[in-house]
Amino acid sequence: MESSFRRSMDWLHTWAGVLFASLLFAIFWMGTLAVFDREIDRWMMPMTRLPVVDQTVSVDQLRPFLDIAAATKSPNWSVTFPTDRQPVLTVNWRKGEERVRHYVDPATGVLLPDPGSWAGTQFLYPFHYMLHVKLWDLGMWVVGLAAMGMLALAVSGIVIHRNLIADFFTFRAQANPRRSILDLHNITGVLGLPFHVLITLSGLIIFFANYFPTGWQAMYPTRDAFNADAFGTYSRPKLNHPGSLVSLDTMMRDAQRIWKGGMPTQLTVFHPGDAAAYVRILRFPEDRVMHHPDSVFFDGATGDLLQQNSAPRPVMTMQRFLSGLHFIQFQHWTLRWFYFVLGLSGCVLMATGLLFWLEARREPHASSAPASVRLVEGITIGSVTGLIIATLAFFVVNRLLPLGMTMLGYERTALEAWIFYLTWLGTFAHAWLRPPHAWIEQCRAIAGLALAAVLLNWLTTDDHLFASMASRTLWPVAGMDLLLLMGALTAWLTAQKLRSRTVPASPRHEPLSVAESQALG
Amino acid sequence: MTRQSATPDRDSDDAVEPSWLALIGRVVLVIFGGYAAAAGFVTGASVALPLIGMVRSEAVALAAMLGFVVYLVLLLWGFAERRLWRLCLGLALLAGGGFGVGSLM
Repeated sequence: MESSFRRSMDWLHTWAGVLFASLLFAIFWMGTLAVFDREIDRWMMPMTRLPVVDQTVSVDQLRPFLDIAAATKSPNWSVTFPTDRQPVLTVNWRKGEERVRHYVDPATGVLLPDPGSWAGTQFLYPFHYMLHVKLWDLGMWVVGLAAMGMLALAVSGIVIHRNLIADFFTFRAQANPRRSILDLHNITGVLGLPFHVLITLSGLIIFFANYFPTGWQAMYPTRDAFNADAFGTYSRPKLNHPGSLVSLDTMMRDAQRIWKGGMPTQLTVFHPGDAAAYVRILRFPEDRVMHHPDSVFFDGATGDLLQQNSAPRPVMTMQRFLSGLHFIQFQHWTLRWFYFVLGLSGCVLMATGLLFWLEARREPHASSAPASVRLVEGITIGSVTGLIIATLAFFVVNRLLPLGMTMLGYERTALEAWIFYLTWLGTFAHAWLRPPHAWIEQCRAIAGLALAAVLLNWLTTDDHLFASMASRTLWPVAGMDLLLLMGALTAWLTAQKLRSRTVPASPRHEPLSVAESQALG
Repeated sequence: MTRQSATPDRDSDDAVEPSWLALIGRVVLVIFGGYAAAAGFVTGASVALPLIGMVRSEAVALAAMLGFVVYLVLLLWGFAERRLWRLCLGLALLAGGGFGVGSLM
């Protein structure tokens, strides 16, 4: 007789699973895509498929944008310099509540046509950590709760596991669906366990000051004061009267001298146009896990060095290291691909968990499933295949909408997002209206949409698979097309397998066996 | 509502089956009360650690990072602990003690 602790962990795993699995699938799915968010950007914004350059244009050449930002009273203005994964130069500032973003060719300084897409870095990636729900930071809080749920699910899952070692090697694909689903759930859970736990805990740790604000609130008067102490950020208020800014290129050269040649990642002007304007130049070294930039701060009016940051203290170093483990922005392609595969395994973990819950409660000879099963099945289909369909629709519509398009007052960027959400809603409706066929039909839809995306990239950009595989600049596009094709194949094979599994409900309609039909004939 | 477990071939447990209301009450208590207790821990540790020499910002960061582990333990305990009064007492002590130490600042 197992202990009451084991039984309560069993109960917790089941109910936390049913409650959080859909949400966790979405978080893991978007997070997995975010591993390659910059590559997705290249695919969705063809004008940014530029070769990497060694020398970028002078920052002072971009001053006209700074003047616009100052005129619209933006609190800051940034230039992000090109890297190998993001070969364009971006200029950003705020106009009221809106964020303005322009893409510039780094070799010539020419403004690129507005891509009109939030793509991977502005849509898929933020969805991952805040679900695009900004009201009261609810999205961030819900993701945090789901992350705690994930940790509780991981621990309870281990506790109720009967045979941890044997399950490393057990996958009975030919057994009845319940058995093979559970086997797959156990394999992805056990083999991926270090990743699932670390990625979840590190994700929470990134936002430690947001999730547990009472700590710094007890010790500091403001968040800025805490940030200054912990992260070494410099800040000063504006004076509210106009001032001038000396040469930014000189500051860039000073910064590079301090860093012994290291190329800056980002330059930000705080309080543009104000007499108290100051400039921060950041450099994120790609050769270390710790996600902490070297930074230098310059006075805007004189160009004097205000502050230069040294390495953080031990505990904050640990926090930056764990954050870096999660962000995986450092240069390590093998590990990045590992994260992608493990992230997908996490998605499989949640989907198989839900499927097992459903199969364990389905009565084999009843005419229809109980209400609880129908409800959870509808949610599962919409959350799993439905979310994938919505993502693919997002990619497809990106290739179809003309640049600069607006409709009903919505910009092209928002229209793409609308299609994502409307498609997603549609998949839930489809799941509830056509329960016996929904899985198969949605798998087929995934295959069709993924294929369409690859074809549309070919038709709209001429960077078809053979061209993109041959050119290093276009490898991100090749990678995306290849993964789309693999996804299409997987979805189509899954649909075929599901079709062959549908057995007749009543024995009376069972087809004759080969032997029986031969005996009759 | 059937209390089906993740592996339904096992015996269902022999404890008294709680009502829907008691269940939701327990979930709310564990999630929100557990968070309050963990936040109390974070506050208390953020205030107490500098008193023994740790740098302020380091203490805050360490307390918050440990806070997630503390919250996890409370979540697991919250659903494993059969006696409701013990759970309430434990959460209240941690929250009260933690925020109490915090108010010394």
